[in-house]
Amino acid sequence: MSDPATSPEPAARADSTRTGPGRLLVAVYGLFALSASARAGVQIATKFGHAPVAYVLSAFAAAVYILATVTLAVGSPIARRIAIVSCSVELAGVLAVGTWSLADPATFPDATVWSGYGSGYGFVPLVLPVFGLLWLRRWTRRARASTG
Amino acid sequence: MSSVNGAVPTTIIVAGLALAGYALLMTALNRRMSVILLGALGVLEILLLVEVGIIVARLAGGTHPASLATLIGYLIAMPLVPVAAGFWGLLERTRWGPAVIAVAGLVAAVLMVRLHQIWPIIHV
Repeated sequence: MSDPATSPEPAARADSTRTGPGRLLVAVYGLFALSASARAGVQIATKFGHAPVAYVLSAFAAAVYILATVTLAVGSPIARRIAIVSCSVELAGVLAVGTWSLADPATFPDATVWSGYGSGYGFVPLVLPVFGLLWLRRWTRRARASTG
Repeated sequence: MSSVNGAVPTTIIVAGLALAGYALLMTALNRRMSVILLGALGVLEILLLVEVGIIVARLAGGTHPASLATLIGYLIAMPLVPVAAGFWGLLERTRWGPAVIAVAGLVAAVLMVRLHQIWPIIHV
């Protein structure tokens, strides 16, 4: 990709990563950012010793969700790159923690957002980064096409 | 007593799922946000506020669950769900506006199930 400063968005474009299907993505990401950070905050503040690994991972997941929500909502070229990284980290996280939680349940006496591949949250944590990356790929291609 | 208290959460679950179904139908039919959807969202908001009132009354009565902090978080977040969805959905002038409203309906239903898990005396 070229320098973001030299590849401005075409003036005619009315939409961004936060409009259209992105509106739904930002809404769901915002929901997970809020619920994951609230849950991690309560867990760490009230019973950290009970399941330290699970709670630290909860907090990490919350941070990734916040970053993805903000960058998808901003939608500038730099924000899109950060969003690609955070969605990728999220996908890797849900796959790694999902596998880890099934292989070693003793480490997870209490669930995280990503335990069991997000089964406690209707597997939305597993599906969300995939849709996020597909949506971002469309924008990367569009930006590439518009800059030649 | 418990059946009366359980009526509101049950109504919220039914209303939330019905709203989500209708909103998703609007998305599938490529419709934008409508007055009907906003009205339904308003009804959901009122129901959620009634539920918050019922729970606050119970807390004022002297009983509380083990995870009080989580319950208070829910009491604050619950009424914000339809408001945030309405605001965010209205900004969108395509089929994806109703899709945001569908999320709010589903979230309202899930919140009722979670409330029951946090504090089993809140019947569903």
